[in-house]
Amino acid sequence: MSSTVFLHPASYFIAGAILLGFFGRIKIVQKVILLGVPLLAFWQIHALPESFGICHFMGFELIFGRVDKLTYVFLHVFTLMALIGAVYCLHVKETGHHIAAFLYVAGSLGTTLAGDYLTVFIFWELMAVASVFLIWYRKKKRSIEAGYRYLLVHTAGGLVLLAGIFLRYQNCHDLTFAQIAANGATTADYLIMIGFMLNAAVPPIHAWLPDAYPEATVAGAVFMCAFTTKTAVYVLARAFPGFEALAILGAIMTLYGVGYAVIENDARRILAYHIVSQVGYMVCGIGIGTAMAVNGACAHAYAHILYKALLFMGVGAVLEMTGTCKLNELGGLYKRMPLAMIFTVIGGIAISGFPLTSGFISKSMIIAAAGADHRVVLMLMLSLAAVGTFLSVGIKLPYFIWFGKDSGVEAKDAPWNMNLAMLGAAFMCIFLGVYPEYLYKMLPFAVNYHPYTAYHISETLQILGFTGLGFYLMVNYLHPEPKCNLDLDWFYRKGALVFMWLAKKPVSIANDWVGEVYRTVGMRFTLAVARALSWFDWEGIDWAVDNSARGVVEAGDQARALQTGKIQQYIGGAVVALMIVLLVVVFL
Amino acid sequence: MIVKILSYLQDHARVLKWVFFAFLVGILVFDFTIERHHAHFWGDKVIGFWALFTFFGCLGMIVFCKGLSHVWLAQPEDYYDREETENDE
Repeated sequence: MSSTVFLHPASYFIAGAILLGFFGRIKIVQKVILLGVPLLAFWQIHALPESFGICHFMGFELIFGRVDKLTYVFLHVFTLMALIGAVYCLHVKETGHHIAAFLYVAGSLGTTLAGDYLTVFIFWELMAVASVFLIWYRKKKRSIEAGYRYLLVHTAGGLVLLAGIFLRYQNCHDLTFAQIAANGATTADYLIMIGFMLNAAVPPIHAWLPDAYPEATVAGAVFMCAFTTKTAVYVLARAFPGFEALAILGAIMTLYGVGYAVIENDARRILAYHIVSQVGYMVCGIGIGTAMAVNGACAHAYAHILYKALLFMGVGAVLEMTGTCKLNELGGLYKRMPLAMIFTVIGGIAISGFPLTSGFISKSMIIAAAGADHRVVLMLMLSLAAVGTFLSVGIKLPYFIWFGKDSGVEAKDAPWNMNLAMLGAAFMCIFLGVYPEYLYKMLPFAVNYHPYTAYHISETLQILGFTGLGFYLMVNYLHPEPKCNLDLDWFYRKGALVFMWLAKKPVSIANDWVGEVYRTVGMRFTLAVARALSWFDWEGIDWAVDNSARGVVEAGDQARALQTGKIQQYIGGAVVALMIVLLVVVFL
Repeated sequence: MIVKILSYLQDHARVLKWVFFAFLVGILVFDFTIERHHAHFWGDKVIGFWALFTFFGCLGMIVFCKGLSHVWLAQPEDYYDREETENDE
């Protein structure tokens, strides 16, 4: 076991997090660790054996490492993303922020490698707890509140997952994390699925995502957009391919997400809603469950992590330099932040699926798989979501930040490390579009799909071109407004207020009333009983056992005289006592 | 350099508009020329299907979402904060 600890990429990140804590003052060492650990992990995942790190704990078999092609493609993109994210947050001063990011990545890698549900659960919770610090480090009131909501929702989801795991153990005494047959699924399996779906932000349990991500730190959001939802996509692809519910919910997700992305004003909230939409493609692909659809889901997860992170980095750079990312306050920034503009536009055209970008070769695979499976309605829903994607993230977002009316906001290009990270992600977006075999080789099933056919190119150009026409005609109607759009988080945010009101008004009135009754009636009665018992104890029992209590009181008085009230002396005394105990133990 | 190009394009927005329209026509012409043996459903056999689908889908989505936002979803930005302070009083 001890040797296999060094095999597990998550252990590098955990060790890295500890070292980062030690070198909090020495920034140069910290930077070396920040870059070195992801590089090491990215190199090391190629050398992983098929199975490792199996240990027995309280009668359970915990499998920390299980590697196959499905695991590998996710490990590949997670470690690559950790590297890009680390470059992006090199300038961040808070050591705790880096530690949280590293532990978060470790949780994600641990979940991906886990071979049983208990191990999945451990790393699943590590992810939730570590990521909430990436929200709290923004250090604004809204972020603190959003972080607590995020933590509560994820705790609830984790409990549902845990309930499913327990039920499953009771049913079949088998916690192996493997594919579940769609026709033999039990309540336990559906509970596990709901736990996973919460992290994948499947409506109606999606509202935590657009609530929390826009409140995270600039660099934290870049990490968060990559890991939580895509780890959930991995576990869904592992356990639940072919579940019809996922296919339908996934298609609904794609439209739900873009619908909000069209109307939102905060650029990071647009992107957050758009994660819901994009993860919808993957969930739908997993639900369809054919080899091509699952391949498409994995390919799309790979491509999506890179371009969504690129978009979050670009918008994050704007937020970092201007202090806002609300579209109604921005505009005409192309003169002042041209580099961020180029990179964000590359992210925008990649997410929209322009030919020669990564979206073109991954998204179409899922849509084609839906078509090949004769799911015409799903296919049309996914295509309509592609229209909304280009409309909201491909055109609206860059237009109102970089073009449009000049807002006069002062800004300059972001620090070099941010631009370098964006350059890396932008390179990958185009590289995958030009050379899709690099990605297709990693996919879990053999790929028999060619994205660059005349028909597909024509279809894509029509979708993109006429979306552009729609935007051109409706640009005034689409103008961003500084509003807060209600979503399903209304239920628990307002529900919490109702709860607080209940706690304050009726419950507290009842509490006061009971307290009053207690004071007038109960208190006198209790005091009388206590006096009687005390008299009996002192005079009756102590007399019976030879006045020992009086003796203890006198000894206590003497001991009190020894107490000086100085904490140093107590610690010193404790150390002396400890030394004496040690000496006695060693020499006797 | 990129700033100069973009500024130049912005100054010639009218030309850009006609280039864009020409591009749209070009796409439709291109759609006449391609083969379609791997049709997934009836729409794949209709020339210009995706152009129509996109155009009406796009307008419909904008009108529906923006409309829904105006009549129901949009609230002042401090909607959730404001309720809390009201409650504290």
